[in-house]
Amino acid sequence: MVREEVAGSTQTLQWKCVESRVDSKRLYYGRFILSPLRKGQADTVGIALRRALLGEIEGTCITRAKFGSVPHEYSTIAGIEESVQEILLNLKEIVLRSNLYGVRDASICVKGPRYITAQDIILPPSVETVDTAQPIANLTEPIDFCIDLQIKRDRGYQTELRKNYQDGSYPIDAVSMPVRNVNYSIFSCGNGNEKHEILFLEIWTNGSLTPKEALYEASRNLIDLFLPFLHAEEEGTSFEENKNRFTPPLFTFQKRLTNLKKNKKGIPLNCIFIDQLELTSRTYNCLKRANIHTLLDLLSKTEEDLMRIDSFRMEDRKHIWDTLEKHLPIDLLKNKLSF
Amino acid sequence: MLRNGNEGMSTIPGFSQIQFEGFFRFINQALAEELDKFPTIKDPDHEIAFQLFAKGYQLLEPSIKERDAVYESLTYSSELYVSARLIFGFDVQKQTISIGNIPIMNSLGTFIINGIYRIVINQILLSPGIYYRSELDHKGISIYTGTIISDWGGRSELAIDKKERIWARVSRKQKISILVLSSAMGSNLREILDNVSYPEIFLSFPNAKEKKRIESKEKAILEFYQQFACVGGDLVFSESLCEELQKKFFQQKCELGRIGRRNMNRRLNLDIPQNNTFLLPRDVLAATDHLIGMKFGTGILDDDDMNHLKNKRIRSVADLLQDQFGLALGRLQHAVQKTIRRVFIRQSKPTPQTLVTPTSTSILLITTYETFFGTYPLSQVFDQTNPLTQTVHGRKVSCLGPGGLTGRTASFRSRDIHPSHYGRICPIDTSEGINVGLTGSLAIHARIDHLWGSIESPFYEISAEKAKEKKERQVVYLSPNRDEYYMIAAGNSLSLNQGIQEEQVVPARYRQEFLTIAWEQIHVRSIFPFQYFSIGGSLIPFIEHNDANRALMSSNMQRQAVPLSRSEKCIVGTGLERQTALDSRVSVIAEREGKIISTDSHKILLSSSGKTISIPLVNHRRSNKNTCMHQKPRVPRGKSIKKGQILAEGAATVGGELALGKNVLVAYMPWEGYNFEDAVLISERLVYEDIYTSFHIRKYEIQTDTTSQGSAEKITKEIPHLEEHLLRNLDKNGVVRLGSWVETGDILVGKLTPQIASESSYIAEAGLLRAIFGLEVSTSKETSLKLPIGGRGRVIDVKWIQRDPLDIMVRVYILQKREIKVGDKVAGRHGNKGIISKILPRQDMPYLQDGTPVDMVFNPLGVPSRMNVGQIFESSLGLAGDLLKKHYRIAPFDERYEQEASRKLVFSELYEASKETKNPWVFEPEYPGKSRIFDGRTGDPFEQPVLIGKSYILKLIHQVDEKIHGRSTGPYSLVTQQPVRGRAKQGGQRVGEMEVWALEGFGVAHILQEILTYKSDHLIARQEILNATIWGKRIPNHEDPPESFRVLVRELRSLALELNHFLVSEKNFQVNREEV
Repeated sequence: MVREEVAGSTQTLQWKCVESRVDSKRLYYGRFILSPLRKGQADTVGIALRRALLGEIEGTCITRAKFGSVPHEYSTIAGIEESVQEILLNLKEIVLRSNLYGVRDASICVKGPRYITAQDIILPPSVETVDTAQPIANLTEPIDFCIDLQIKRDRGYQTELRKNYQDGSYPIDAVSMPVRNVNYSIFSCGNGNEKHEILFLEIWTNGSLTPKEALYEASRNLIDLFLPFLHAEEEGTSFEENKNRFTPPLFTFQKRLTNLKKNKKGIPLNCIFIDQLELTSRTYNCLKRANIHTLLDLLSKTEEDLMRIDSFRMEDRKHIWDTLEKHLPIDLLKNKLSF
Repeated sequence: MLRNGNEGMSTIPGFSQIQFEGFFRFINQALAEELDKFPTIKDPDHEIAFQLFAKGYQLLEPSIKERDAVYESLTYSSELYVSARLIFGFDVQKQTISIGNIPIMNSLGTFIINGIYRIVINQILLSPGIYYRSELDHKGISIYTGTIISDWGGRSELAIDKKERIWARVSRKQKISILVLSSAMGSNLREILDNVSYPEIFLSFPNAKEKKRIESKEKAILEFYQQFACVGGDLVFSESLCEELQKKFFQQKCELGRIGRRNMNRRLNLDIPQNNTFLLPRDVLAATDHLIGMKFGTGILDDDDMNHLKNKRIRSVADLLQDQFGLALGRLQHAVQKTIRRVFIRQSKPTPQTLVTPTSTSILLITTYETFFGTYPLSQVFDQTNPLTQTVHGRKVSCLGPGGLTGRTASFRSRDIHPSHYGRICPIDTSEGINVGLTGSLAIHARIDHLWGSIESPFYEISAEKAKEKKERQVVYLSPNRDEYYMIAAGNSLSLNQGIQEEQVVPARYRQEFLTIAWEQIHVRSIFPFQYFSIGGSLIPFIEHNDANRALMSSNMQRQAVPLSRSEKCIVGTGLERQTALDSRVSVIAEREGKIISTDSHKILLSSSGKTISIPLVNHRRSNKNTCMHQKPRVPRGKSIKKGQILAEGAATVGGELALGKNVLVAYMPWEGYNFEDAVLISERLVYEDIYTSFHIRKYEIQTDTTSQGSAEKITKEIPHLEEHLLRNLDKNGVVRLGSWVETGDILVGKLTPQIASESSYIAEAGLLRAIFGLEVSTSKETSLKLPIGGRGRVIDVKWIQRDPLDIMVRVYILQKREIKVGDKVAGRHGNKGIISKILPRQDMPYLQDGTPVDMVFNPLGVPSRMNVGQIFESSLGLAGDLLKKHYRIAPFDERYEQEASRKLVFSELYEASKETKNPWVFEPEYPGKSRIFDGRTGDPFEQPVLIGKSYILKLIHQVDEKIHGRSTGPYSLVTQQPVRGRAKQGGQRVGEMEVWALEGFGVAHILQEILTYKSDHLIARQEILNATIWGKRIPNHEDPPESFRVLVRELRSLALELNHFLVSEKNFQVNREEV
């Protein structure tokens, strides 16, 4: 119960962005600190975050391209300096910023002679290119050049097996890894028993999200990984027979809330995620889409704000209200929630 | 013609020069020489004479383009026109006639024979001449021999024995008296005695019988022939006998050639004119004199060093092609003679052209050359793995081949480095394995003197008088026999202070010794630090810190590097990358200045002095080694360009420099045992960022034949009894569609072979099908071209070649994209090679203090025992260069300027980088070059600081995809009935005797029995085991011996030894014989 201990210490755990700069359109840098941490905690958080940042962040990429009439991806098109293969490699490197889910279509349709850059990609509304100057191809003749693209948000990298696609499209081995590099370092300060640690976290991203967003997403993804442990009673069916012998301590959200209610020392609302509220998946998705991830986010929104969210209905509001009422101290609700 | 205009400048000569010069000599001189030898063909009965003239021969421009020749599988050749004269009675006709085609060398220094690039390697042979040798025999008496080597490589020996008799050994078996030999060659005893310095010795040994033998030339020849051909009995002298001896002995063993004559004159102090290219009696006598002189100590006792380069000569393309041309002309002569005879039968009026026009005659030349290129061991398929390979291949010199040594028998001394190799043949670049030392590579500055076939190396002349006369230094090319008389300062003298050079002593070479000599005594000095090395060797940075064995491996492995999809220049290089890339001709270089009109992926249009030139580019073409050749335009439209500028870049070149690999971040540390025994651990980044991705194009071909019944095979889509799935890629003609993705087992070309439909040959179900459905079962067999195991990729080209209507060849080109994977071989440039053992996600890799994950992890134990410290220097300097955005080009032997120069350079650059980028971890004074790094899985720092750096790592052509192989069942060899060997044949793994011992040692009897019977050569058992597994029955237990035992028994029987197997009954002692 790390968090409670932190909460119990004299200072609350805080993070701060120390430095943030944009080196180029495709290289963002950010430095963060997290303090105060007890001895050893910085390492725990640091390595976990580094690995999560490097491995768990999603990115948007072009995954497939369809050319008009090209026999295969190693052929050439008259009037273009690059071969199809090189164009595909250039497309692979294009960095996109989006928050979409699923697969979207995009296209390029230009007339030569001119350089085609990332700017020329006609993207769906929720997607934008990060570096408009990224080269794609060089048309040297007055020809029409059209490519249909497919955009997908994904994690890690895919090497697709090139099956015969009847539509004549070619897969691009997309790399959805927006975080370029992560480093962390630990500084100890204080003296004697009061020793505590400061965690420095450096993040370089490719521009499709800021280091801050990356940090945010990484922490969320990391927490998602731990969630099953918090829902232990649902998964505990296999332990049924041993139950009389050994009862695993169940740290459920409800229990914790009641604990919190008891000690009344102020609830770190930003540490409670809406995943933990046992909302219906519909409501949950609605909130997620509106960038509401923690209880704090939720409570800071007014009722009007919530109603403005796409496909948010009155029933959802009632559901949220019921849930909150069930678990949170009333005074808190009175203070924070204005509806 | 292609020589540098500025000779005095001493630039590095063009690397393909060696081949070009050879070919030019063939075209300019050798053709005329051979045409000169062409005799006038006379037919005395009909007063007809046919004559060719050496003057004014012409070669036509090839009728097809080079790339068409490759694509259409033709020979790139040009027609040879010669002026000829025909005298027919009083009618004299003069005409320029075509006598056939000659293959032409292209700009790569190669020939294209039947669509395949081929190259002729220079051969290095013992020069014709005489070589003396003294040896101790088993009794400790010295024997003196002189070996005469002819132009054709034939050897005859002169030896003097302890009774002071002189023998000539003309064939392996027989030795004859020197007197017989001289007499057979045409001198009588009187002449012999007059011409020798020690007549008393000659007089002392012949006895009466021998004297009789040499009293006339005929008798001597008869005697000689008897000994030479080892025939007994009484022979009668005849003209034919004389002729045979002439052919077998005098031509093969006595033709010295031009070089041989010069060597002979030089060695024996003779003054026989140069044009006398045969061994004369005078030579033999002078040689004998010298031998006697050696024996009695009056002559100089000097053994000839057969391995000295002065006793070697280069047999280049020119010589080989000239021989073939002579051969072809000989055949032409016969053909013309035949035609002349035929002409008279037909009573037609001949012209010079009609005499050589019949098809059989006009293709004589080209067929001679095609067979030569196809069969001659020194004509090799051009190795096109990467640009370096292309350049290096033409500069090889080989001791192997006809007239040379063989890999199995060559002595250690002939493989060794000789002091005369310095600056001529690279001391490190040779093949590994059985041919070690027999194939070498020319040093970069070496040049071949085609007149005498010697290898020359350039030096600066700095002798005192000359230096005073002229301020500038002269470059002299020294042949190996001259360079021993000079004191040659090593390149070190460069570092001397020019002002006080007189006071200095320098290390120098003199008469095969390394000495320290005062500067004023030096005659010449070497001109370039790379002078000793071949191209492969001089591409290794910090080569002086590497063990020669590893440098050798490096120069060999750089030639195996695969061009990558996106190349990258090396951070640390030697400066020779540019010329290597340029001379390989993989890039397109502007032949004249002009302006770019348009660029495209397949052509560049250039406007030059009013003309528009279209320069075609190569697009994803297959090389001989299945790598991908591709050119990318590198000039913008509208740009004015100069002559010699790079227009388009080929594979593995960047900005005109050779770029074989990639600069990756390496760490030398153990990691969970994944780099045990030279294994290499890599990061996933190298996979997904396509850092080591290469393209490979394979060619698959099939040909239609006519069966013995006369029916032709046909290519069709309609193939019965095959799954639709396998045929999905075929178009309506039955050939795979362009651009389709094919996998193992897919049909590329559907082909049916008609079969005779006899009632008995029907398969079992055919009869049933016919009876029930009235179906006519197809009468043909499916013989389609299927994609073999391991093949997959995109069909990028399909080519039909039709020479005649029945003979169709279909070629399918399949391109495969290969990312790096476990099992691939990677290597650095210092002989540090390894196999990928594991690919880790980037977050698991060890990371530096700035968070950067390492790309490759090498085993530190791979360095000390291999003594290739150059890799350490390279990686540290590479890191500095990467941080400072600098590229370094470092000539070898920089330590001559000061001690530890390399180390100082590397450390100062690292320090600089550390300061510049404000990264203190780059240079830490306690452990310079090393850094504390962290485990990516736990975030813990590793116990020790680790050496990190940027190294230039190559991906080699040995890739798992081409090696991986497994077999459950498959073909068995016919005689032993054991699994065949080899991946190509779907073979199995041999369980040899040592493996059997291992199994015996473990006592695993059943596994051993299984391996030796069911899985191998027990015919019945291995058939039954299949059924048993399918039906789930017990595996049968056979007691009869496997096939190999039966083979043994039969082999014993053929030696008349009977081995039998009897069973004796316990009850009635009845003997039952069992067949084995």
